[in-house]
Amino acid sequence: MNWLDHLVERCTRRIAQSTSRRSFLTRLGTALVGGAALPLLPVARAAAGQAGGTDADPGDPTSCDYWRNCAIDGYLCACCGGTTTTCPPGTEMSAITWIGTCRNPADGKDYIISYNDCCGKTSCGTCLCQRNESDRPVYRPHTANDYNWCIGTKSAVYHCTVTVNIGLATGAS
Amino acid sequence: MLKKLLVLALFLSAGSAGAELKPEPLGRVETLPVPYPPHWVIAHDAAFHHMLDGKFILLDAESPQPGRLIKGTFNGSFVGHFAQSAARKEFYVSETFFSRGSRGERTDVVTIYDMATLAPKDEILLPGAKRGNMIPGRYNLHVTNDGSLLLSYNFNPATSISVIDIDAKRVVNEITLPSCALAYPTGKRGFSSLCGNGGMVSFQLDKQGQVASQQRFDPFFDVDKDALFEKPAIINGVGYFPTFQGYMQEIDFNGDLAKVGRRWDMLSKDERAANWRPGGLQLTAADGAGRMYVIMHPDGHEGTHKDGGPEVWVYDVKKRARVQRIELKNWGISVEVTQDKEPLMLIINPESMTVDVYTAKTGEYRHTLGDFGQETPLLLHAVR
Repeated sequence: MNWLDHLVERCTRRIAQSTSRRSFLTRLGTALVGGAALPLLPVARAAAGQAGGTDADPGDPTSCDYWRNCAIDGYLCACCGGTTTTCPPGTEMSAITWIGTCRNPADGKDYIISYNDCCGKTSCGTCLCQRNESDRPVYRPHTANDYNWCIGTKSAVYHCTVTVNIGLATGAS
Repeated sequence: MLKKLLVLALFLSAGSAGAELKPEPLGRVETLPVPYPPHWVIAHDAAFHHMLDGKFILLDAESPQPGRLIKGTFNGSFVGHFAQSAARKEFYVSETFFSRGSRGERTDVVTIYDMATLAPKDEILLPGAKRGNMIPGRYNLHVTNDGSLLLSYNFNPATSISVIDIDAKRVVNEITLPSCALAYPTGKRGFSSLCGNGGMVSFQLDKQGQVASQQRFDPFFDVDKDALFEKPAIINGVGYFPTFQGYMQEIDFNGDLAKVGRRWDMLSKDERAANWRPGGLQLTAADGAGRMYVIMHPDGHEGTHKDGGPEVWVYDVKKRARVQRIELKNWGISVEVTQDKEPLMLIINPESMTVDVYTAKTGEYRHTLGDFGQETPLLLHAVR
């Protein structure tokens, strides 16, 4: 699967926008403007377990079209010996990362997805996927998928990326 | 007649004897003419599928034929960043190595390459294991306008700029950025960085690389609603930054500190209604005459800003007006333009990972550069 083929493919695909996501980003942006010297970085702790392919979490986790992949840029760990929420054997999950806000088609709600990189082995090499909803340039790191986020791990070498649901974007329930 | 045939036979036999191959010397290695011809370009291949083995491939964009296309290569380990100095006849590549191949102790360096030999001639240690490891762009590593300092962007995830004295070949300062990124050359020896709050910082440095003056700018763009692409074309010292929604933000980098300039519309009313937008990986370029090239796509929406597009729109930035619209033969993801008077426009095709070459002035397609050992050549660098 070619990474940039997805780009071309995606050019004809419209993905619904979300008012609630914008609200979330506005709030986050406000927090940042508050004057922190460092980016406000989400810290995600992935829980073990498979996701996807259920009524509540529909779709194929090994497909770039899977709903959690809306802001991903990398290899899908679900194709690489891991799952959507777990790293492949022998790798290490980066604790700091970028986030996206993706709409689950099953319940129509927006979830914050933490894109944690799995590190310590060279590129997985399959299921490369780039989607950029709510991605912003590298001057705002916490929503920038252009960085290698294997930071603070034993090795900076990037292998693949998980898509961990860390909660509803609206915080309403 | 018989005499003529005899003479011809003698001539042919003498000719075949003369064509016998002579022994050839061993150990010869090519060198390159410096400065390079203006249509040579550098394909920056991050080798996304095996990042420890990235490379830069020097191409003659006029000559797609095998045997003439590739002029040489040099390496960049673990998504290297690139800068060049025509005055010093050097390339600079910031790169990362691990002592055990894909693991072990990390070492970050700037490797200095001689443009004539493409051989590494020196290296500068980057301490702290913090070199920004990210999709390559033009402003991760940059030589200051006076040619004396090299600026290298760090991300760990705090952001800073390492200031390198090129003559002394060492880091002489590290400037912490207040949640800002990259380094756009500013004034004689300074730089500016865009910030996550929609603002900017600007620094002017002294000869020792220490901060001589600085300024922090209040937010002047909305990152959520209409972010600035971090990939401007800089023309006569003015940065032209497209926004996601198709406006152009000017930032003047000619003075000691940056000045936020005008913002103008890249689109007509009809084009805006059709959601034409800028987009791509390296979506902007400028030629030597100051014309700006931007990859554009229709039906844009949230998330299409890196998709590239089917057209390149050319702007006269002095008039703040589009002067040309080039329909591409193939969808393009990155653009570069050579800096001579008869410039070539080069477009990376993301499906085949090849480079389509156009006559920039007319937009006429000329040929395609392919099969040059490339895998993921994300951007191109004209010789400057």
